[in-house]
Amino acid sequence: MLTGLAFYLFAAVVLVSAIAVITARNPVHSVLFLILTFFNAAGLFILLGAEFIAMILVIVYVGAVAVLFLFVVMMLDISFSDLRKGAMQYVPMGLIIGGILLAELIAVFSAWKFAPNAADNIAVPFVQSAEGITNTEAIGRVLYTDYVFAFQVSGLILLVAMIGAIVLTHRTRPGVRKQKVADQQARKKSDVLEIKKVTSGTGV
Amino acid sequence: MNNEAMTSFDFSSLGAILPELFLAVAGLVLLVAGVLRGDKSTNFIGGAVIWCLGIAAFILIGLEWDRVSILNGMFVMDPFAGFMKVLVIGGLIASVALSMQYLHQDYIARFEYPILVLFSGIGMMLMISAHDMLALYVGLELQSLALYVLASIRRDHIKSAESGMKYFVLGAISSGILLFGISLLYGYAGTTNFAILGDTLSHNMSLGVIIGLVFVLAGVAFKISAVPFHMWTPDVYEGAPASVTALFAIVPKVAAMALLIRLLFEPFAALQSEWFQIIWFIALASMVLGAFAGLAQNNIKRLMAYSSIGNMGYALIGVAASGAMGITAVIVYLAIYMAMTAGVFGVILCMRRDGNAVENIDDLAGLSKNAPKLAYILAILMFSMAGIPPLAGFFGKFLIFQSAVESGLYTLAILGIISSVVAAYYYLRIIKVMFFDEPADKFDAEISLSRKLVIGLSVIGVIFFIVNPSPLIDQSRIAASSLFSGLDDVATPDTAENNTQ
Amino acid sequence: MEYLAIFPPLVGFLMAFLFGRQMGDKGAQLITCSGVIIAAFVSCVLFVQVIFGHDGHGDPRTVHLMQWMASGDFKINWALRVDQLAVVMMCVVNIVSSCVHVYSVGYMSHDKCKARFMAYLSLFTFAMLMLVTADNLVQLFFGWEGVGVASYLLIGFWNHKDSANAAAIKAFVVNRVGDFGLALGIFAAFVVFGTVQFDAMFEMAASKADATMTFFGQDFHAITVIALLLFMGAMGKSAQLGLHTWLPDAMEGPTPVSALIHAATMVTAGVFLVARMSPVFEYAPNALLVVTLVGAATAFVAATIGMTQFDIKRVIAYSTMSQLGYMFFALGVSAYGAAIFHLMTHAFFKALLFLGAGSVIHAMSNEQDMRKMGGIWKKIPTTYVLMWIGSLALAGMPFFAGYYSKDIILEAAYADHTWFGELAYYLGIAAAVMTAFYSARLLFMTFHGKPRADKHTMDHVHESPPTMLTPLMILGTGALFAGYLFYDKFVGHHQIWQDSIFVLPENDTVEAAHHVPYWVKKLPIVAGALGLVLGWVFYLKFVGLPSVFTKVFKPLHTLFYNKWYFDEIYNAVFVKPAAAFGRVFWATDRNVVDGLGPDGVAKTSRGFGAMLSKFQTGYVFQYAFVMIIGLIAIISWFFFKLTNGQG
Repeated sequence: MLTGLAFYLFAAVVLVSAIAVITARNPVHSVLFLILTFFNAAGLFILLGAEFIAMILVIVYVGAVAVLFLFVVMMLDISFSDLRKGAMQYVPMGLIIGGILLAELIAVFSAWKFAPNAADNIAVPFVQSAEGITNTEAIGRVLYTDYVFAFQVSGLILLVAMIGAIVLTHRTRPGVRKQKVADQQARKKSDVLEIKKVTSGTGV
Repeated sequence: MNNEAMTSFDFSSLGAILPELFLAVAGLVLLVAGVLRGDKSTNFIGGAVIWCLGIAAFILIGLEWDRVSILNGMFVMDPFAGFMKVLVIGGLIASVALSMQYLHQDYIARFEYPILVLFSGIGMMLMISAHDMLALYVGLELQSLALYVLASIRRDHIKSAESGMKYFVLGAISSGILLFGISLLYGYAGTTNFAILGDTLSHNMSLGVIIGLVFVLAGVAFKISAVPFHMWTPDVYEGAPASVTALFAIVPKVAAMALLIRLLFEPFAALQSEWFQIIWFIALASMVLGAFAGLAQNNIKRLMAYSSIGNMGYALIGVAASGAMGITAVIVYLAIYMAMTAGVFGVILCMRRDGNAVENIDDLAGLSKNAPKLAYILAILMFSMAGIPPLAGFFGKFLIFQSAVESGLYTLAILGIISSVVAAYYYLRIIKVMFFDEPADKFDAEISLSRKLVIGLSVIGVIFFIVNPSPLIDQSRIAASSLFSGLDDVATPDTAENNTQ
Repeated sequence: MEYLAIFPPLVGFLMAFLFGRQMGDKGAQLITCSGVIIAAFVSCVLFVQVIFGHDGHGDPRTVHLMQWMASGDFKINWALRVDQLAVVMMCVVNIVSSCVHVYSVGYMSHDKCKARFMAYLSLFTFAMLMLVTADNLVQLFFGWEGVGVASYLLIGFWNHKDSANAAAIKAFVVNRVGDFGLALGIFAAFVVFGTVQFDAMFEMAASKADATMTFFGQDFHAITVIALLLFMGAMGKSAQLGLHTWLPDAMEGPTPVSALIHAATMVTAGVFLVARMSPVFEYAPNALLVVTLVGAATAFVAATIGMTQFDIKRVIAYSTMSQLGYMFFALGVSAYGAAIFHLMTHAFFKALLFLGAGSVIHAMSNEQDMRKMGGIWKKIPTTYVLMWIGSLALAGMPFFAGYYSKDIILEAAYADHTWFGELAYYLGIAAAVMTAFYSARLLFMTFHGKPRADKHTMDHVHESPPTMLTPLMILGTGALFAGYLFYDKFVGHHQIWQDSIFVLPENDTVEAAHHVPYWVKKLPIVAGALGLVLGWVFYLKFVGLPSVFTKVFKPLHTLFYNKWYFDEIYNAVFVKPAAAFGRVFWATDRNVVDGLGPDGVAKTSRGFGAMLSKFQTGYVFQYAFVMIIGLIAIISWFFFKLTNGQG
């Protein structure tokens, strides 16, 4: 009963805030609604017993990604209303297309069937908490064994993403002053300081 | 207790993935070397990447190509995978060799460039060997991400940045579509493994599975730029630096096509009558659009984009024809297409005037007088692209149409021939411009040796393919039949075409 | 070993063609020449091995190179079939080609594109070698087309001359007609025999002797159809009457080309083809009849034309055609050995004549008209002597090479004891008189009498350099001794052919030729001597006589001088109607068909294309939109189908 109530609560907030993300006029509000969506989605995961994913969602998406969004949106001076102008003419079309897709998906899900042997096919049997293993531990057990391939390739993907970010944004500008500690340490008085005796009245 | 997962991990089985492992390690080492030595090491890194790819090919050829599935069934090695990987490595070597000089000319000589090519190559090889939806997805993303970055690597150039952005956004959407499809399939079958999926899907199916199939195919169709998922292609081809466009045109589609073929004939084998309709439609649409939209183009890179859309359409005919014969035709077609494209882009990269790249077809005017060798080479390649015997391009098309006719796909075969006639117009137009128009100014003369080699090999391959076509065809046949040996022979869809009417 | 006889010219071609600029003219000449000389030397060694190996029984061999294509039953290999017939051809081709290569170094010394020229010569040689060593019809066809292409390139080598381009195109087009026949012949052979492999075909030939093939509802004798179609190809390549018009025009090419391609080797490909296919032709008596008649007619007609021409190279060209006619009627009466024998001797003396003519032309500052020559024999004595040797061999004077081969052909024709054999004999005798006559005419007009060239040219008459004379001497040696040395081996009592040539026992005219009446044997010599004497009378003794004769026999002379109006007739019958036809069609096409068809379609297509590219707006969200719409469309399609199908 209580879980049912919580589910409908979370789900409703997810939907409403998701709609708000795309309808809010102020982009900062959009991002804030996005964060709200993430939080509620995390709640849904907890209801499913997937507390690890829920926490990852909060930490990564809310803590890092969404906040980054927020910074970007606040720092860039983009007139979102101008951007919208052009797009507005596609709204009717978009609504029709979206409506059709929605109808179809509803039809699909309402008549959803599972394969008779679907449960047998699941590679990692659903971890029951009765066995005393949290799903964090369960993920830990398969992530580096059965799924080491996907894990390693994901690592490569992140590496490529990093290279990409550096290639596309990093540039060495001339005239940037940086602190070089080694240089500072290595400086000697004699290199930089010259003592001149100046007789008074003649100038340097 | 869950220790059997640990023990089931068998290091000795890693042999099959050795080329990829080698390349990944080499990529990391070269990355460090590049970081330490900076952009002046670009040439060294480029050369090293070519060598590494060569060694990987060597390792790959030395491997046993018997079918083996490792890493918890995520990675599969069979003659099909082996042969497609050889093609991909060849294409990568060609595209790196073509581009090294260009990088300096266009001020994008950054050491990351060849390394990104290498990583995208690893992605492609993983795609070819993917035997699990997860493996498919990570391979695809590794490949795509590196390509997104490459497309916008000339970041100060608005068009390059724009093309990278477009590719990225649309690629992300297609990934989303793909993932949604995978989740639908998982929701039905409870697995992402190809083999188990194949078994499960053959029992009975629900609408959800078909929708999942459509979504997955749409995601992959984006990668081979089949209509209607092709929209990124012309813009990205035009905007990206020419050397990157060359890479786009030569290699990734081969990998994506291999992935598509594996998907269709392993997990989706039982859904043939469904996917046949999709492939039939996108093949047709790609051929027609590739042929007609190409007519209106003036930019040669854009033209090649439409040409590649059309060519993927022809290759898809072979997929639709299915059976070992159809797939053989596809593999031969792709190999020939790669060779021709490498040569064509080799010439396109030579189109520079006063140190700037020029890209319009009119800029080729009178090339026969200014640079006769280049003109004759391009003419031969264009004749081959247009499918004029006895050049290699003709045989590719011939095998495809032959397999279509044998499978009873008359509509596709006839429309394919019509659209290749239409497309011949724009290939021949280039020849006309080169040989009969008033000469424009000369191109810059210097062409690096590596590029000359690639162009030379391409042209020689195209001309002399007729002398001894059997090695390629035989290898392709072995590769193609390996897809079918484990499974019941998939019925040719001679009745399936009637379903679409 | 076999490789060394075939592939050095290919290597030479590739090196000279690809790197000609880097290695310079000298390098290109060196590499191509050494390529063919190696090949020539090796083929001589092979000649000894193949013919005298196994204690004189012959040691033919086939070297398998690789599989070319395989499609169902249709399997073709690249192979080198080095049997007796092939090895003779290889020797002829390689030796003459070596001479021509070396000669070209001197002859083309003023040309700008030496490397390209040498490369083409080597390409030609290689293609010709592929042709003669083919062990199936398709490889033969490959070589056949290869020599066609090389010949096209070489005839049109001086592509700044319009006449050279026209001649090259004419040669190509006329040969296309023949090649069409050859290709059909190959198809027919595959239909009948189920293979194009020589060995397999020859084994089956006897069993298929009565096979028929249905064509347009009619039954035809299958072997005859094949033989006639193949012969059509041979006619084109060997310039037999009807498809001969390209050969004289081909003299627009540089003279070494004429010597190599249009005298010694390529034009004899047709003869080789028929000899190679002898097991098939033997079972097609009607085809042999046609071969004989065409050959005899060619020999006669070409000789009549040869008597009236003034261009020194054209005279030799027509004599080539006439000699090819001899070879063909020898084939027609089943005297294959005799035909190949004549092919060989002819290669020597005709290449000698052409190269000698080239030497004369070189000396006369590129003058080719014999009316503007004369009286130069003292200035170029070596060339003069060699030309005499070549001409006497051509005229069939005793103990020169041509005497042996021509005699055996004529005797074999007589010995055939059929009406067409005898007809061929008498036409051959007539042609022999004319041959001797125009040979003498050529010699006397060119070297004797008063100088008719202007003083400037005469002052510059000079003997050719050693690079040109050495090959001439080698060929001269061949023209002197080849007949005597090989008579016994080729057509005598110790024939070397073994299985490479097949003759039905009742058709063995070469054997029968040794038993013909005495007068039959001696008539050719008399004819040759008569011709020479007539030539001396007409062109040296009574110089006024030719013009008198020309007037008296004006209609005949006009006919001969205008080459029997072949070009004009073809022009009127084929070219002009075709052009007129074309114009009519063009007019209709442009106004009606194009308007609705291509132009209309092209216009619509371009419009369509432009419309399609308008979709390409450049806005990402539109692109995404198109993708999604496409996706939804496909999904909806399945929805529609499944709900309809189920409901």
